[in-house]
Amino acid sequence: MTAILELKHATKVYDQGRVKVIAVNDVSLTLESSQVVLIMGPSGSGKTTLLSMMGCILRPTSGDVLVEGDVVSRLTESQLPNLRKSHFGFVFQSFNLFSSLTAAENVEVALRLRGWNRRLLKTEAQALLAKVGLETRSRFYPKDLSGGEKQRVAFARALAGNPHILLADEPTANLDSATGREVLALLKSAAERDGKAVCVVSHDPKAETVAHKVLLLEDGKVKS
Amino acid sequence: MYWLALRTILYKKGRVFITLVGITFSSLLTLTQVALFLGMMGNATGVIRNTDADIWITSKNTQSFDFSNPFPEQRINRVSAFEEVLWAKKLILTWGSLKLANGAQEQIQIIGFDPASGIGGPWELKEGALSDVKGGRYMIADKTSAPRLGPLNVGSIWELNSQRFKLVGLSEGIKSFTTAPIIFMSYEHAQSFLGNMYDIRSTTFIVAKLRNPEAQAGVIESLRASLKDNDVYTKNEFILKTVMYWTVQTGLGMALFLMALLGLLVGGTIVGQTIYAYTLEHLQEFGTLKAIGAKNRDIYKIILSQAGLSGAIGFAFGLAAILLSLDHLEQFGVTLYLSVELIVILFIVVLLTCFGSALASVRQIRKLDPVAVFRG
Repeated sequence: MTAILELKHATKVYDQGRVKVIAVNDVSLTLESSQVVLIMGPSGSGKTTLLSMMGCILRPTSGDVLVEGDVVSRLTESQLPNLRKSHFGFVFQSFNLFSSLTAAENVEVALRLRGWNRRLLKTEAQALLAKVGLETRSRFYPKDLSGGEKQRVAFARALAGNPHILLADEPTANLDSATGREVLALLKSAAERDGKAVCVVSHDPKAETVAHKVLLLEDGKVKS
Repeated sequence: MYWLALRTILYKKGRVFITLVGITFSSLLTLTQVALFLGMMGNATGVIRNTDADIWITSKNTQSFDFSNPFPEQRINRVSAFEEVLWAKKLILTWGSLKLANGAQEQIQIIGFDPASGIGGPWELKEGALSDVKGGRYMIADKTSAPRLGPLNVGSIWELNSQRFKLVGLSEGIKSFTTAPIIFMSYEHAQSFLGNMYDIRSTTFIVAKLRNPEAQAGVIESLRASLKDNDVYTKNEFILKTVMYWTVQTGLGMALFLMALLGLLVGGTIVGQTIYAYTLEHLQEFGTLKAIGAKNRDIYKIILSQAGLSGAIGFAFGLAAILLSLDHLEQFGVTLYLSVELIVILFIVVLLTCFGSALASVRQIRKLDPVAVFRG
């Protein structure tokens, strides 16, 4: 297993006027290929902030973020979108699909952002939807899909462009138990079969069953 | 990203329909007002523009072509005396009352010109010849006056200020700003309508053609020094003077301009409101785009192309509506001036208005923090 993503003494402080809130406090962690890391913790413990820093959406106040050995936390704001595009796939709690696009088109958006050729991206979007078992639902709009299907479309979109890192924020929160298990299985398969480095933030105890490593975050600090 | 712009804007068909209806009416209003303004200014300056003269001499403090006062006609000698002047002609604009077939009287504008040279005469003659007004009480009317005057048949007799005139020719498309029908006749006969308050023979304009147009500035300066009781203009100065009179001094042009501006504002507001509401509704989606690697400028492209597309389609419908109604409007005496250049300019103005109104949405996107997408 290779270290794909590293956080070294990452701290995030939010300046709220006179009060400084330390959301993430001196966290160091490594995300390796073929591995699922689960971050758990109570609400307000800093999980989302930590995930945002791992995904290069948020810069740490101090400490470093390394992607495939390169320090990226000092990249400029305009360089970060390209980094996210080339290395990361995201799965969100609320699916965040485009309501005006079909399932296939939602996947195509991510491919278009990566500059894929128009003809190839249609085939690739179909292949990705087939991978999550939705090849027959590719022309459906999000409003016509169940919660589990929406999350699978979001998962297919996260896989678009073959990123090495998948970050999932509460991916089972809006799903029933059986569907949640299916989505977790997909994340596990992405790590074990495709060699991706997967990080899941979740309250869901079921997520522990697919994790290779579990980190408990409390008050911005890793407890275990 | 243009694809995404198109797909998302067409998704809510009801909203896109309302937006397009708004922009169509806004474009229609703007196009109509500007074309109407230019059409009216075209009418107001028609005789000046179509008279082949470099210099126009009017009575002192003349405000516009339509309201020039008489002055002694012998001043033409001072104009002709200049070596640089190729020819100088007298031209009269005055008013009269034409008796209609039903006994009613219609106020008309009379233009008296030299039938031998045709200077100042009608430029779009459909029947008869300019020289036909020579040597008698003959007149040329314009076909567009028919709704006001009744059937205009060449050879018919008309009573003008209690004098009988024979209609010997018909022009087409010559109108005055005041909407009063224009009647052309010989200079000598038009002079009789100037009134008896002057002992000496009067004219209302002297127009002159220069041998060398480059000498214009010098000749004008000399004429101004020589004709202290007159105003001396170049052709373009007199056109501008007339346009400014109707636009600024009477406030009529300004009213049309304000209506055109209002049209733009209404269209801009509709586009801005629609795009802004759309942006707020889709902030989560835009945030997702940013999180998965879209740059701000990718999202600006989506928003601006939606604004541009709405503007372009709405303008096209508005233009189609005005082109389809052009003939009908002209039948009611409305002159609309539409040229390719004007359409292009107004299209750009409508597009810029739409882009401008989308700026509030662009600001929202700039402020949008992609971290928000993790907050559900």
